[in-house]
Amino acid sequence: MIALLVTPLRAQRRWLRLAVLCAVLAAFAGVGLLAVSGWFLAGAALAGTGGIVAVQAFNYLLPSAAIRAAAITRTGARHGERLLGHRAALHALAEVRTTLFGQVARAALGGHDAGRSGLVANRLGRDVDALEDAVIRRVAAAGAGAGALAGLAGTVALGWQAVPVMLAALVLMRLVGRGMAARMIPAASARTAAAHADMQADYADIAGPAADIAVYGLGPAMTAALDATAARRDEAALAIARAEAAITATQTAIAAVTLTVLALVAHVSAPLLALGLLAAAAGLETWAGLVATDLRRHQVEQAEERLLELGRDSDRVAPPAHLTANPALSIAGRTFAPGTRLRIGGPSGAGKTRLVETLVGLRGDAPQDLAVDGKDPRGLGLGALRSIFSLAGQDVPLIAGSIADNLRLARPGTNEDEMWAALRIACIDDVVRTMAGGLDEWLGGEGARLSGGQKRRLVLARALLAERPWLVLDEPSEGLDAATEALLVERLRGWLDTTGAGLVLVSHRPAMSALATQVVEVQPLG
Amino acid sequence: MWWMADCLGAVLFAGGLAHLIGGNIAFHQIDTIGASLLLGGGLLRGLVQAMARVRGTIASVAVQKKLRHALVPRLLPSRVARGRMVGEDMHLAIDSVAATEGHVARFMPLRMAAGLSPLIIALCAAPASYVSAGIMMATLPPFIVGMILAGGAAARRAEAQHVALSRLSGLFVDRVRTLPTILAFSGEERIARHLGEAAREVARRTMAVLAIAFASSAILEFFAALSVALVAVYCGFSLLGLLPFPAPEHLTLARAFFVLALAPEFYIGLRRLAAAYHDKQQGEAAIAAMVAEQDKVPELAPQIAAPRVWSGRGVILTHDSGDQTPEGGNARIGPLDWDWDSPGLHVVTGPTGSGKTSLLTALIGQVAIVGGTITADGAPFAPGSTNDAVGWAGQSVALLPETLRANLAFGSADDATMRACLDALGLGPMLERRGGLDLVLDHKGSGLSGGERRRIGLARAILSGRPVLLLDEPTADLDEGSAAMVRAVLRDLAADRLVIAATHDDALVAAARSVTKVLP
Repeated sequence: MIALLVTPLRAQRRWLRLAVLCAVLAAFAGVGLLAVSGWFLAGAALAGTGGIVAVQAFNYLLPSAAIRAAAITRTGARHGERLLGHRAALHALAEVRTTLFGQVARAALGGHDAGRSGLVANRLGRDVDALEDAVIRRVAAAGAGAGALAGLAGTVALGWQAVPVMLAALVLMRLVGRGMAARMIPAASARTAAAHADMQADYADIAGPAADIAVYGLGPAMTAALDATAARRDEAALAIARAEAAITATQTAIAAVTLTVLALVAHVSAPLLALGLLAAAAGLETWAGLVATDLRRHQVEQAEERLLELGRDSDRVAPPAHLTANPALSIAGRTFAPGTRLRIGGPSGAGKTRLVETLVGLRGDAPQDLAVDGKDPRGLGLGALRSIFSLAGQDVPLIAGSIADNLRLARPGTNEDEMWAALRIACIDDVVRTMAGGLDEWLGGEGARLSGGQKRRLVLARALLAERPWLVLDEPSEGLDAATEALLVERLRGWLDTTGAGLVLVSHRPAMSALATQVVEVQPLG
Repeated sequence: MWWMADCLGAVLFAGGLAHLIGGNIAFHQIDTIGASLLLGGGLLRGLVQAMARVRGTIASVAVQKKLRHALVPRLLPSRVARGRMVGEDMHLAIDSVAATEGHVARFMPLRMAAGLSPLIIALCAAPASYVSAGIMMATLPPFIVGMILAGGAAARRAEAQHVALSRLSGLFVDRVRTLPTILAFSGEERIARHLGEAAREVARRTMAVLAIAFASSAILEFFAALSVALVAVYCGFSLLGLLPFPAPEHLTLARAFFVLALAPEFYIGLRRLAAAYHDKQQGEAAIAAMVAEQDKVPELAPQIAAPRVWSGRGVILTHDSGDQTPEGGNARIGPLDWDWDSPGLHVVTGPTGSGKTSLLTALIGQVAIVGGTITADGAPFAPGSTNDAVGWAGQSVALLPETLRANLAFGSADDATMRACLDALGLGPMLERRGGLDLVLDHKGSGLSGGERRRIGLARAILSGRPVLLLDEPTADLDEGSAAMVRAVLRDLAADRLVIAATHDDALVAAARSVTKVLP
């Protein structure tokens, strides 16, 4: 049982039960369809050779109706199984995602995590999907159990010797399936993952000097250089394929041997033989489907382990330090009173973005001396610093959702007037007005309908709404023409005058830089 | 191919079953032929399915290699020009290529089999009971019509299902990705609540889509069940002699049983295909990403002869959205005014971050030039158009995992020339120690110092024999003795080649015929 899923699945108990019921019905109907068909055919043949009296004595209405009923039940119940199983899984996983998000958020508040979140997000997405798959598979497992049970019941028709044979086969299939999977899969998938990571590392190594590769036409030779590691990965992938093939083939082989033994030990009339053999065949086939769970078990366990680890991380985070409401900053030995407008200067590549991101608590790797309220921000973490700064930077993303969703993130419960005012200051109101949805215009996963400059100004509007004592802007006017830039500078100055907020600005553009009254120069290292 | 053989296994199995049960009426004794057919058929199926799985993976491994060899040589030289980070290209070249496995290994063979296996099964059933074969075939057209009525082909429906399921996952991934921003605005509790609501809402909407999406599976199920039921009922009534029409053929129990056991196999190919649909989705998405990125690879500029006079005027604007400059966007270099005439040594100098490297990489077409004028012998110069005449040595050196000799062999130099060149650059002692030109390198240049790697790059540029040398910081990372040797080599080369170096090295600047100063 997957620990993360216990509570969420309890809420879905009703749907899960219905899904399992459908799965069981579908399995019964599936086995029944073949068994009754077989029995009916054999019985009909016997009656057919027995002459007209036997034919008339043979009740053909009941079995032929049962066949039709089984066909319809199987179809309907499978549909129900799929639908209800997915319903339970989707709703249960909705809860899991919410819980996990809370845990990830708590864990991230303690540390600096600027670049990693993209990687973590994809990892988490895949792990949660694996759990979702596991829920659906559980429903299918109930069906497999029912199918096996129906098959076992069918073998009663073959005589008492047949039942232990079938029972033994069912147990054997499970033991062999689980055992083989546990022995063969984890090692092979670990090897595949390791070789895959090596390939990634190799690629990262060779892809750096693109100029060399272009000038000397090294592309094909470099590609060939990847082949050795690729061959290792391919070999490991093939080992997994062989393991899966062997596991599945073994199940089929056990089923075939079982059926043969059943056929040999059975000494019953043709109709019963037909019924029993077909029921056993259908039951064994459904039962063999369970290996799909065995093959994925390792993957699901690893996903679960990683997700549980998140919860443990989130419990270790210390509460944030206390800072005064409107603190002074100190950068590279100089201290700035609240409300100061300062610019960080220096050539491209000097690490200005890194400096401001470290200042606001998004990362911790700037080499300069920094202090907020006399304390080093690298030791404070986002939890304490977020009430001090609002950042509009180059790599600050929009969340998938509407424009209003993004603005409300900064100020919950804000009204339309406030939103339009912020958009106006950021010189993006006219763009939003031309959109069909206005404030409710949906931005794709990355705010895809906006240009880079427009995104930056929307991010700026969001930062303004947050009304923190320090506004941090990283190249806010990139992609603007001179006239609009002048307007932006004008409006920002007005906003700073009104709110009395301090400004930390990174900009190459002279018009923008005029906003600042003080400059801190940053020099590249080395 | 192997999935076809699976049909054969099914036929044997059905034959065994039929022999057992058909024979049972007459003899009531152990039926070895039936039992061995049953066993053989079953074992054959297991074996064949396993072979199909392994063969599929072998095929997919070969396809992955082919994809990699088509994709990577185009990605590697054009990465900077496309403004991509190493990590992004790596994801495409390694992860996306691997994501095609299921499509090639499972879906494609199943699709071939799904088209033919119903026909094979019907053909095998026909000799036993052509009416039953007909019944099976007759369920196909309504099945196809049903699929169309259910909303286009099964493909479109499965696609809708896939999209609906990935929407929820996508929302979650987005919120974790943007988590630092959410945290910075103290929005985590609100967002968590919204995420819960949105996830439940998406789950509700997804269910509506799934209800329709699963209809195609239901139709498949229905016709699969129907073909079994119809065959069973027809055979039963035929055996009873109670058909409401004159019996078209004489059925025995064995024959009837044979076709009954084959009936579920008629649709099994299509059912397996439906189960592998996710593999197809994944594979196609990966291929689409690869095609999209390859389309962004810039065309190679037509090559011109090495320029005798290479000039530039004005502010050179380079467009660089990648990781070369941290600020991204357009970088301004200059204003500049230079005339480099061949042969001779010309240097570009200026503080770090002023754009010296960008200027050199722009000349070889690695970074797009969007402003400023560059001419070669008076004609407008297209970046990268003289690459075949350029010997390049940059700050990082791409090494092939082969011998040092192979890494230097881009011109017509023989071993003696190579050794002389390496000696002149001060690499002689290292060479002696490490086994000469037969020294085997790896792509990281393990065992070499930064300065040694640099000078191997320099030697490669020199030994290429190309008339223009573009060198980025040729004396960096070197002690004064080695730097002096490199300067001497460059001075000699300048007698008959056009040597252009970006440098901080005052001694090298002093030796130059022209100095272009770049200010930030």
